[in-house]
Formats: sequence, C-alpha cells, structure tokens
Amino acid sequence: MRFIDSTDFEKLLKKLSAEGELFVPVKEEDTGKLHMRRVESFPLPDGTVFDGFRAVETLKGFAQHLRFEVAQYPSEEKDELKPEDSFPGYVIVGAKGCDLKAMELVDSVQAEGDYIDPFYKIRRDRMLVIASDCSECSESCFCNLTGSNPWPEKGYDLAIAKVASGFLVEEGSERGAGIIEENGGLFSEVREGLEKTRDENRKKVLSQLKANNKSYPESAEVTEPLRKMLNDEIWTEEASRCVECGACTNICPTCYCFLLFDQKDGEQYKRIMSWDSCQVSGYSRMAGMGTPRPRLSDRVKHRFYHKYDYLPLSHNAVFCTGCGRCIDACSASIDMREVFSKVVTKATR
Amino acid sequence: MKNPYYPIDTILEDVISETPTIKTFCLKPAKPIKFKAGQFMQLTVPGVGEAPFTPSSDPNIEEKMEISILKTGKVTDALHELKPGAVVGLRGPFGKGYPLEKLAGKDVLVVGGGVGLAPMRSLLYALFNDPSKYKKIEIKFGAREPAELSFRRQYKEWEGLASNISLKTTIDVAHPDWDGHVGLVTTLLDDLDVSVPESYALSCGPEIMLKFVTLKLLEVGFTPPQIYLSMNRKMSCGMGKCGRCNVGHYYLCVDGPDMCYDKIKDVPNVFG
Ligand SMILES: Cc1cc2nc3c(=O)[nH]c(=O)nc-3n(C[C@H](O)[C@H](O)[C@H](O)COP(=O)(O)OP(=O)(O)OC[C@H]3O[C@@H](n4cnc5c(N)ncnc54)[C@H](O)[C@@H]3O)c2cc1C
Ligand code: SF4
Ligand code: FES
Repeated sequence: MRFIDSTDFEKLLKKLSAEGELFVPVKEEDTGKLHMRRVESFPLPDGTVFDGFRAVETLKGFAQHLRFEVAQYPSEEKDELKPEDSFPGYVIVGAKGCDLKAMELVDSVQAEGDYIDPFYKIRRDRMLVIASDCSECSESCFCNLTGSNPWPEKGYDLAIAKVASGFLVEEGSERGAGIIEENGGLFSEVREGLEKTRDENRKKVLSQLKANNKSYPESAEVTEPLRKMLNDEIWTEEASRCVECGACTNICPTCYCFLLFDQKDGEQYKRIMSWDSCQVSGYSRMAGMGTPRPRLSDRVKHRFYHKYDYLPLSHNAVFCTGCGRCIDACSASIDMREVFSKVVTKATR
Repeated sequence: MKNPYYPIDTILEDVISETPTIKTFCLKPAKPIKFKAGQFMQLTVPGVGEAPFTPSSDPNIEEKMEISILKTGKVTDALHELKPGAVVGLRGPFGKGYPLEKLAGKDVLVVGGGVGLAPMRSLLYALFNDPSKYKKIEIKFGAREPAELSFRRQYKEWEGLASNISLKTTIDVAHPDWDGHVGLVTTLLDDLDVSVPESYALSCGPEIMLKFVTLKLLEVGFTPPQIYLSMNRKMSCGMGKCGRCNVGHYYLCVDGPDMCYDKIKDVPNVFG
C-alpha cells in the first residue's frame, strides 16, 4: 500500500489520460448527485468527488454502449473485427464496490463462454479502473445485504481511499502495479495511523448501511422464498404501481439485455445493438402468438426472478449488488428491498 | 477477434414452394457451415433484419443448407418475396441440437405439426443416415389440411429406406382431397407401435400442439425425461447474451431449442 497526495493524484490522472478517455465523478450542484464526466483538460472539474457513494451512471455503460453498430454487411472485412484501431480505451475513476462486483457479473455473461461479445470484451480489456472507498451511503444503498462491502474488494487496477490530504492506494492488477512502479515519485510511504483511519471510515459506512437496512432480508435468503411466490398476488400489486418505463433495467449495473436490428445505409447495411428492457411489452413478442409475459405483472415479476432465481441457477450468482439505483430511478417508488421483505414474510407465513 | 454478429454472405440458389405459406430456401453460404440436427441459424434479410430458423436439410451437407419457412411477419414476408440469386446472411449454428446419442438402440417417436415438420426433417435425415442404429423410427406428421403437409413428395421414399421406419399422417378436419386419417396429430398417438419404456419422443410444432402432445405422451406412459420439445421464444443474439429467450432459468438459444420436458415441466405457463 502507498500514499499519494491529492495534487499528485491529479498529476497521475493527467498522465493516465494519455491511456484512454478519462472519466471522473462530478457532483451536480442542484441535485447533489454524482455523474461520470469526461475530462478533456486539466485542472479536474469543480465538484470532482472521489469518495461519496456511487455515481448515477454505471460501469456497464462503458463496456456495453447504449446503442452502437456491431456489423456492416456485406463487407470485405467479413467477420474479422478490429475495433481496437478506433477505440483508445477508458480510464475510469471512482468506481464503487457495488459497481465492481456488477461488472464482474456482466463479464460472466458477455465475455465468457462459447461465444464472446468482442465489442464488450475489447472495451473491458481496455478499461483502466481506479476504484474508491465509499465515505457515505445513500438511503437506497444496500450492498451489505448482497454480500459485498462499501469498498473495493476486487475487479480494479488501483483502489484509492481518501485519508488526510490524499489517498491510500492499493494495486489490484499487473497494470495497476505497473502504474505505481512507473510513477514511483508521486507516491510515498503510508504514514502510521492512516490505514487505521481508513478502516474506521469503512466501519462507519458499513454500520450506517446495516442500520439503514436492518429490517430487510439478505439477498441469500430471498431466493428460496421467492420460488414459492410465483403465483402470489404480490406481483399484481407491485405492477399496479409500475408505469412500465424501463428505468429500473436501464439504470441497473447488471442488466445486460439488448436487441439487434438492421438498417440500410447507402449500398451497405448496418446491424445495431441497443439496450433493451424486459419490462416493456414488445421485448419478447413472438411471431403469431403473442408473448410469454403478456401482463405487466409477469414482466415486473420477471425482473426479480431473473436476478434472484434464474441467474443464481445459470450463472451461480444473484445479479444484484445493492447499488440501489433502481430504487432511486423508479417513479412509482418500487423498492426492491420492500418487495423482498414482503416475499420473505408471506412465503414463511 | 471474431464478430459473431456479422452475417455470412449467402446466395439464395433456389426456392421451393412446400405449402401455400411455407417455402424452402436453398442456400449457399460463402463458407461451409457445419451444424447438428436441431441446431438453429439466424437468417438475415439485408436491411430488414434476422430471425431464427432450424435448417430442414441434411446435417451431413456443409456446403449448402435448406431452411423451410412459414410466412408470418416482417422478416419472413421479405424472405418469401426473394428470388433465386438474392443475397442473404447467415449466423450460427446456435443451440445444442437433438440428443442423437441418447436415441441409439431406442424406439424413436417423431411428432411434427404444421411448420414444425421443417426442423424435424433435418432430424430425420440424421436418423436416416444409419436407421439400423435405432430400434424403430416412428413418424407422426399432422397439418390443418392436405396442402399444408410439407415434404409430401418425400414420404414414400423415407418409408422405403428401412423396414424399421414408419410414417403416418393426419389432417385436422376432413377434406375432399384426403382419404387418410383425420384428427389432430395427438390422435395418431393412440395406437403407438413402440415399446414405451424403451422410447424417446421428439416433437416440434406450435406450442399449443406441444402441450397436447406432451399430455398425451404422459398419458400413454412416457416419463418427462423421455420427451424432447422444440420450444419457441423470441430470439435476438442466439448466444445467451441478449436475455430474451428464457424458459425459466434456461436460455433456449443456448440450452435448447429442443428441451427435455423434465427440465422445464415446472416452469409456469411453459406452453405460453
Ligand atoms: C429456434 C427456432 C427455430 C425456428 N425454426 C423455424 C423454422 O424452421 N421455420 C419457420 O418457419 N419458423 C421457425 N421459427 C419461427 C421463426 O423464427 C419466426 O416465425 C420468425 O421469427 C418470424 O419473424 P418475422 O420477422 O417474420 O415476424 P415478426 O414480424 O417478428 O412477427 C410476426 C407476427 O408476430 C406478431 N408481432 C410481432 N411483433 C409485434 C408487435 N410489435 N406488435 C404486435 N404484434 C407483433 C404479429 O402477429 C406478427 O404478424 C423458429 C423459431 C425459433 C426460436
Ligand atoms: S451500494 Fe455500497 S458500494 Fe455502492 S455506493 Fe452504496 S455504499 Fe457504496
Ligand atoms: S437469443 Fe439472446 S439470449 Fe437467447
């Protein structure tokens, strides 16, 4: 572990910005929310915040773009792909524990298995992640219930924790270790007591999370009760509030669903990949025979089951890391934690 | 890196009308495509889009591929308009394909309805490759009316291939051009000539048909592990990445599209 002073950290970022597009969390004045902003010149924008809690934007959005071209056909290049020619890479600062874990989950879908999404993989491989400790949590944060912690545990190149006039820095990959080594002059020994300060901060945030979420069930205790609730009226009740906007899935760091569609472009054709949401009715509509989830309640239910029942079976993990974005985004105030409290209470009654 | 979203240029060499609404498209891809019976392809009509189809041709032939397609919507309407010489695109194959290894030494019951006969033909070609590997191959095909029975020109030839092959057809309601069996395809399952405990049943057709075929098979003594159903869901990527083709926790494009009924029997509304 090393220490870096705030001004030296900015110098480091300036240097790293040569390795790809640099994004940092910046606090929006009127809402107080953090947004990931591209930094094209220095000094860093006013309101840059490296602690706090997660930004509105997810890490997923960097690896899987909202809408982009995946093929042009017919083409001489055929099915060989060289997007690395045009893509410079990313340097992303301030990713939180919940987002690192979410990225790992989406990786297991898009970048592993018999088929690999090359666009996703290339962006992931060229993503330098400098993660950071949370210094606070929001009302909607519940990472502690999903088996993670409000600090970076894995899935980063460098992890920083704000202490005194700078940051404690840990390496999490070869690339991260290389950065510390190459820029040795910017780093110093960790003064006595700083690690303890960091650990106390961590403890403070974790106990706040525990206090906020004390009445809600842990994720690991949700799956079994959920399986008993397939035909319960709870889903019609939740659906009666849902306005079917798809905000919850779009903002989710682990939702990875997309749609492919084709367009004419002069003499060529383009294939476009676009995020899609299982909450909207056209999502699985089929030729001639409607859709397997005709009612809104079927679709509302599907989001919970996919994350907490199906993916644990197919990918060995609950696909929710407790970032709470869906809770903030929902205009009907559907709170996943409340839903699961009801599920657990009803199923065990 | 390979781009799995890129459709391989493919020439449409010939179009054969099977029924008033089904045509077989004979395709020659720019490079050979190796597939197993039951695996499916994503077929692109340039600029219109792509849709999943299971080849109806012999899986031993890699240079060419036939796909038999019902006209039913955006992509399939555009396909039915195409003339020989047109360029389309192919991605795949995707999915697992039929469990041929399990069928060896068993009685094999093949039940198809409507456009479901199309995927079943590639299964039949695979079985006919060496009919002696199976104790019996019993085929039951159904359609609404005589003109809707695909591949009728081949039925006689198939039955003549080996003595353990039998083929029975039915149409839903009586028709002046038909002197054969009348009734839903499930009625052909009333007098089976297979030894049920030593059999596998494979079925493809509309979900409503799959539902009643399954109920009938269970009634005559088949157990869920002996039943394979070709399930149908909306698909986009074909590779377990876009999320839309799930049946319970399975993605049909990866774990299917032919699913052992034992795996999906507890999924609510599995037949839609
Ligand atoms: C694994 C697999 C294998 C298959 N194999 C075959 C095969 O061998 N042969 C074959 O013929 N078919 C096969 N199918 C079915 C085939 O994929 C569909 O028929 C095809 O996708 C239809 O595409 P389309 O663009 O023509 O229809 P679409 O335009 O997508 O839809 C057709 C119909 O669906 C309804 N619909 C769709 N979207 C909407 C909407 N937004 N609002 C209202 N209604 C809507 C309408 O009734 C419309 O007429 C297979 C399917 C799967 C999953
Ligand atoms: S969910 Fe946890 S890790 Fe994520 S921002 Fe909130 S406190 Fe930090
Ligand atoms: S078609 Fe995309 S996951 Fe199955």
